[in-house]
Amino acid sequence: MSDWKAEVRKRVERAEIRAEREAEIVEELTQHLDDRYRQLRASGTDEGTARATTLHELDQSDWMTLQLRSTEPAARPAIGFGLRGDVRYALRAFRRSPGFAAFVILTLALGIGANTAVFTIVNTLLLNPLPVREPSRLVAIETTGTIGRSGRPVQVIPYSNLQDIAGRNQVFDGMAGYSNVNAVRIAREGGTERVFAECVTSQFFEVLGLRPWRGRFFQPEEDRPGSRPAIVLSYKAWQQRFGGDPDIIGRTLRLNGTEEATVVGVAPEGFRGITVVFGPDMWMPASSLERLAPQQRGVLSDRTQSMFRVAARLKTGITMQQAEANVRVIDSALRRQYRELTQNARVSLLPITIAAQGDFAQPLVQGSLLLLIVVGLVLLICCSNAASLFLARASGRRQEIAVRLALGATRWRLIRQLLTECTLLALAAGALGLSIAWQGCNLLWSLRPPEVALNFVDPKLDGLVVLFALGASLVTAVVFGLAPALQASQPQVIDAIKEEARSAGRTRSRVAFRNLLLVGQVAFSLVALITAALFLRGVGRAYGIDPGYQTAHLGIVMANQGQAGYDAIRADTFYKDVKRRLAAVPGVTVVTWASIMPLWNNPSRPIVIAGDEERRRQDTAPMVAATIDTGYFATTGIPLTAGRDFTDFDTSTSPAVAIVNQAMADRMWPGQNPIGRRFHFYGEPQLREIVGVARTANYSRLGEAPQPCVYVPLAQNFSTGMLLYVRTQRDAASVMAEVQRTLLNIDPKLDVSDARTGSKVLDQALFAPRIIVGLLGVFGLLGLALASIGLYGIVAYSMGQRRREIGVRVALGASESAVRRLVVGQGMRLVGLGLGLGCGIAFLIGRGISGMLYGVNAADPVSYLAALAVLAGVAFVACYLPARRASRTDPIAALRDE
Amino acid sequence: MEEPTQNAEWKKGSGEMLILSLVEDQARHGYDICRLIETRSGGSVKFHVTTLYPLLYRLEKNGWIQGKWVEAAGQRRRRYYRLTPAGQKVLDQQRANWREFVAAIGRITGMEHV
Repeated sequence: MSDWKAEVRKRVERAEIRAEREAEIVEELTQHLDDRYRQLRASGTDEGTARATTLHELDQSDWMTLQLRSTEPAARPAIGFGLRGDVRYALRAFRRSPGFAAFVILTLALGIGANTAVFTIVNTLLLNPLPVREPSRLVAIETTGTIGRSGRPVQVIPYSNLQDIAGRNQVFDGMAGYSNVNAVRIAREGGTERVFAECVTSQFFEVLGLRPWRGRFFQPEEDRPGSRPAIVLSYKAWQQRFGGDPDIIGRTLRLNGTEEATVVGVAPEGFRGITVVFGPDMWMPASSLERLAPQQRGVLSDRTQSMFRVAARLKTGITMQQAEANVRVIDSALRRQYRELTQNARVSLLPITIAAQGDFAQPLVQGSLLLLIVVGLVLLICCSNAASLFLARASGRRQEIAVRLALGATRWRLIRQLLTECTLLALAAGALGLSIAWQGCNLLWSLRPPEVALNFVDPKLDGLVVLFALGASLVTAVVFGLAPALQASQPQVIDAIKEEARSAGRTRSRVAFRNLLLVGQVAFSLVALITAALFLRGVGRAYGIDPGYQTAHLGIVMANQGQAGYDAIRADTFYKDVKRRLAAVPGVTVVTWASIMPLWNNPSRPIVIAGDEERRRQDTAPMVAATIDTGYFATTGIPLTAGRDFTDFDTSTSPAVAIVNQAMADRMWPGQNPIGRRFHFYGEPQLREIVGVARTANYSRLGEAPQPCVYVPLAQNFSTGMLLYVRTQRDAASVMAEVQRTLLNIDPKLDVSDARTGSKVLDQALFAPRIIVGLLGVFGLLGLALASIGLYGIVAYSMGQRRREIGVRVALGASESAVRRLVVGQGMRLVGLGLGLGCGIAFLIGRGISGMLYGVNAADPVSYLAALAVLAGVAFVACYLPARRASRTDPIAALRDE
Repeated sequence: MEEPTQNAEWKKGSGEMLILSLVEDQARHGYDICRLIETRSGGSVKFHVTTLYPLLYRLEKNGWIQGKWVEAAGQRRRRYYRLTPAGQKVLDQQRANWREFVAAIGRITGMEHV
């Protein structure tokens, strides 16, 4: 006899009813089949036929399953019960409409990808914790009351102060200093290579709680002046510049052609110094700083020179406030003891993570936030596209949904099924988006300047980013899936079953929802476009900002003579030699030397005005201090507004002179003539007389607030660390090669590879804004493309639904143009609503970012009008195309189809 | 193909009434009901397992019939269904409706009916 039980169970199982009830039903049905089989056999049917007949009668099992589901209480599922079924069902549905699935996945993947890419940037630059032990206990010290050129308190303090605070405090387990990075040339086979070195006090690695990957870190005696320089390589430099050489420890490197230093260790993998964006290739003891940076002579003893940033580890149980109080007491004592220190400044502590972002902190946070908002809008456009597709598809499935509801499926059950489909699509889109984001970040990172590529922070695609993509996918699934699911599962069973296909999806709420999607898409897309346009205008204006000197036909070369070991006498000869020889190079008009680099954080020095001792204590703003050779103003194109230029008669034996800029004159001697006034630098007894006033230029940043600046002649303030400035007759780029050749002819050992034209200096100064503009442009266009596709889809779909109505209109005599006007008019009214809404949102966002726009008004009419025109034009086309098709409706065909 | 369609239509309209009638006087199990429908209709109405039981369960859920497992010595237990008072009312109503319907059809078509 057959095993009817197994056959019955197989079929009843599908109904997913409670287990005990299922057992009863299986028993009852088994008995029935048993009786039936016996009866057939008794009536003379052979065994095979009897069995086949019995089974055949069981074969309408789908009907039975549905019936049982409608009468029997559903199984109380364990968590996840039925999920597998939902997933299988969803996958089957996608197989039936692969085009739909692919389009939704691709649309969402673009949105999720854009969001994940921006999040990767945020993760890399802002959320990336320092790979050190307990970073939360690390603090930095900054000097408040002394505002740096970035508009933030300066974070550097004099080396001697650092040592004093380290010796006297009771709140830190350890305290370490680190300098800015310095370019260093190391001798390699067949030439030299430029690397970046950071000078640190010997406790640096210990305070951070790091262990060497290879070798050891610095010892206290290596910190003292005169000791043989030691080097700790970064892991990346060891790997990429030295090929992971296993015998690196103990190797001697020749630095700047003069100095020899021994590699003593390799820092752990992943540690790239404290500064977020840019990491050094190597660390050297603080005592090496004077040798690496010749212009910073005396930096270890001179308290007027602040060169070190501080990282200090709080003792267990000490709060930042307690530590700050202790450090302030010590700092005040130091300021009383050493009169050369500015008197009204005070120190405060801040978490190392904030300090690690350095001067970039504010623009980083603002830029990231803006990008997140814009890609968020792009994702919303994607979601709305997907939602409208889902809605259209759900309309097509209304009959199926209605039948399921009629057969007793609960609404929740249907919503769950629909949400499962959305989630699956969103997860697939998330995976694809992650890969898009990764490719996008790689592309973005490939734009970094090649000369610092190895030192630039690497994009960090870690668990957090994956989690973000997953989260974004799930949120996306709910956002685009819930509304259609709620609508599609409305229990208007009878209506749905009775309704013909023509009216499916044309209920009032559905139309309203679709219109809402359309308005939203237009609004979000407009916001993204306006933001991109504002930034584009901002950067355009930044390029138009007058930096105060003529960047065209200007070239700057770093000859690195100081690092090549030139002493003052040799450097002096070199400077004169270069000027003489370059004067003979065709295309070169004027040549000069200067200690400052345009649009760069150049050294500043406090000054004391003669007879104004009291006032200098109150005035702590730094002055840009530039040492320049004769011909500087002619070369840079900065005009003198009063007095005279330096001449060859200003020598080391003649009276000391200086030229100040207009900003300094206005600030120190408002309404008076500064010519003839005298001042001296801190720690320097020599008084200098002001002989000229130059127009104020931009020194650190394009479009910065006017900074006071003091120029002193090279002959009276000699430095071996000067940069060569060349003014050319034609495009500077074409002359630079000849200039470099001339320098190498004088001394083939010089590293003259770093030559920049004036326009490159501008490009570099605007690197970050240009990247932001590029990203906003990409996201803006992406938003526009997606919104126009979505718009077209919504209008075309609604035309398809209204085919009969339009057929009637045409039959009653409406002309093609009247139908077109009707359809386009209805579409464009919604577009107009979206545009209005978008303008409002864009205005709010614009107010928040006005500080990043280089003076472009946040309500800049040109940006608004351009974005409005582009979007309105695209929207018109998106409405017109379906309208044209609708207007050609053959009324007879349209009516017959119904 | 005519016959099964007719059969299905018959069942759709009358299945509930047929079952309720069969368990009116005595409790019966599913197979018994199935067999009685077939024999009493002379084979022109057939209920198979997949049609009958969902219908039985629905009637039971509606409270019109009540199922009960009955064990007999030497046999497997069987589930017997009997009409409930609520079911009786429904059956009476359905019978009345049916008579009225048939009479109406007769008046329209001029066919003689009992």
